[in-house]
Amino acid sequence: MIVAETTTEPLLDLRNIEVRYGAITALRGVDLHVKTGEIVAIVGPNGAGKTSLLSAVAGLVKPVSGSISLSGKSLAPVGLEDIVRHGIALVPEGRNIFASLTVEENLQLGATSRRDSEVNTDIGRFFSTFPILGERRNQPAGLLSGGEQQMLAIARALLSRPKLLMLDEPSLGLAPKIVEQVYVELEKIRDDGITILVVEQNAARAFAVADRAYIMSHGQFALSGTPADLRDNAGFDAAYFGVSMDSESRDGA
Amino acid sequence: MNSDGHTPARTAAAFSGPELLRRLWPLLCLVAIIVLIGIFAELAPTVVQRRITQGLIYLVAVVGLYVFVGNSGVLAFGNVAFMAIGAYVSALLTMSAGAKGIFLPDLPAWLQTAEWAPLAAAGAGGGIAAIVAFVVGYPLMRLSGISAGIATFAILVVTYVVIGNWSSVTGGQNSLMGLPIYVGPWTAVIGALVAVGIAFAYQESRSALLLRASREDEAAAAASGVNVVRHRLAAFVIGAFLSGVSGVLLAHFLGTVRVETFYLDLTFLIIAMLVIGGMGSLTGAVAGAVVIAALTELLRQAEVGVTIGGVSLAAPGGLGDVVLALLMLLIILFRPKGIAGGKEIPWPFRR
Repeated sequence: MIVAETTTEPLLDLRNIEVRYGAITALRGVDLHVKTGEIVAIVGPNGAGKTSLLSAVAGLVKPVSGSISLSGKSLAPVGLEDIVRHGIALVPEGRNIFASLTVEENLQLGATSRRDSEVNTDIGRFFSTFPILGERRNQPAGLLSGGEQQMLAIARALLSRPKLLMLDEPSLGLAPKIVEQVYVELEKIRDDGITILVVEQNAARAFAVADRAYIMSHGQFALSGTPADLRDNAGFDAAYFGVSMDSESRDGA
Repeated sequence: MNSDGHTPARTAAAFSGPELLRRLWPLLCLVAIIVLIGIFAELAPTVVQRRITQGLIYLVAVVGLYVFVGNSGVLAFGNVAFMAIGAYVSALLTMSAGAKGIFLPDLPAWLQTAEWAPLAAAGAGGGIAAIVAFVVGYPLMRLSGISAGIATFAILVVTYVVIGNWSSVTGGQNSLMGLPIYVGPWTAVIGALVAVGIAFAYQESRSALLLRASREDEAAAAASGVNVVRHRLAAFVIGAFLSGVSGVLLAHFLGTVRVETFYLDLTFLIIAMLVIGGMGSLTGAVAGAVVIAALTELLRQAEVGVTIGGVSLAAPGGLGDVVLALLMLLIILFRPKGIAGGKEIPWPFRR
């Protein structure tokens, strides 16, 4: 296994995380660190435990063991609705926009945790980046196209001014051209100083922007390293397609 | 763009005149409709006038139910319990000491002699309903879906049983009579206007926006930092206050309170009104109350029958309930968002 070296203190640090849903173990002792300013990708097949990993960080599920810390502070005592105040924003799989609320209300919800007066300035800036969404600010967000919804979901997450942006399968169900746009935006977001943790099945696309990547299989990291290293690694296909592991039934979520 | 009027832009720091008008438009339309109903009642024969008054009182209850159910998306079957609490509190505070001496000889002395002004007693009725809602809502607001529905139904049953057996204070199964009858069509109109005003102000608030987000997706709202329980509780308490006021109005319209009044029949009627009107908007709540009240009255007259040229034609008894149930079925099947379709009355001009 290739272990990436830690030089500075990581922004996000997961140690030996184990997540269970009843009898099913979704994560079995996962260690992960994300440094400030990185894009880190987690790739792997369905059921490998990728979403469980993000859910554990976002406070949606409680790990049975292990520790999660952000900038050295433990997140264990932090409840779901307070995670965002600690600087972590999640763009869930399937986008989870609030379909019957308007585009603008969706954005305001992203800023729920903020108390400052610059929210409307931030929303205005977003509308100038995406004029189509600006024109539709008073329309229900459910009427937007899939790509527009994804952009809205990302913008909503950014409005909490996170230190760490987590995305779950941002390319899912989108046309290749739209996926391209989404990833171009992610690079811009990283250039603005926001650290990104992205979970993807579309390994090729994620590798093109990621500084480091982890390959997940059966609730564990099979490999990790820079995308270039991973592509050259003989074990990549095996790990990614999950064929080298023991034949235990798929047990992640 | 002709938006649905429910969700006006909030970015402008100060609302210009037309923008403010556009934002308040749905409320102004509902106010106009309610005032027109009041004028119509003024001109109508006494029997119809009484029916309209009663309909407006139900409207207050439907709006109270809407404030919680419409914004939170959580089912609630217990609002009639808050109506009962409001009705009994106001009855006990306004009945003459003499009447209380006859019906409730075992009352504590301070309550025995209390003869409050109607408005103060109405405030107390709504207020105590709201306090009870806060206390029972605090643990219950963590529930969603069918478990929330059952838990709120339990509030109804418990309230019914307590009132029905607490003979020294409520008279138990006996009616309390001799309440001051101060509710006529215009009092009911004022009650309806206050209810619609409060509900509209609430739904334009930030708390209601956050609550509607949790209605769409509870986990995503919580992940955005929304404290779902707190905002649900706020809506539950405001809705209970309005339900309590509606109970007060009903008590002082009838001049008598009876525990049976505030149970399953009324619960079904209020829920049917909200479902048929559409639980997604305030316009729906008002439309449901108005349409069902009018329809029930027409059917009642059909049951009484008409005599044309010596031949008496009458619809079979019980038709009203059957039609109401059928209408609810048809709405659920073919227009699940109700008459108003979950929208407020749209701004009629291009922006």
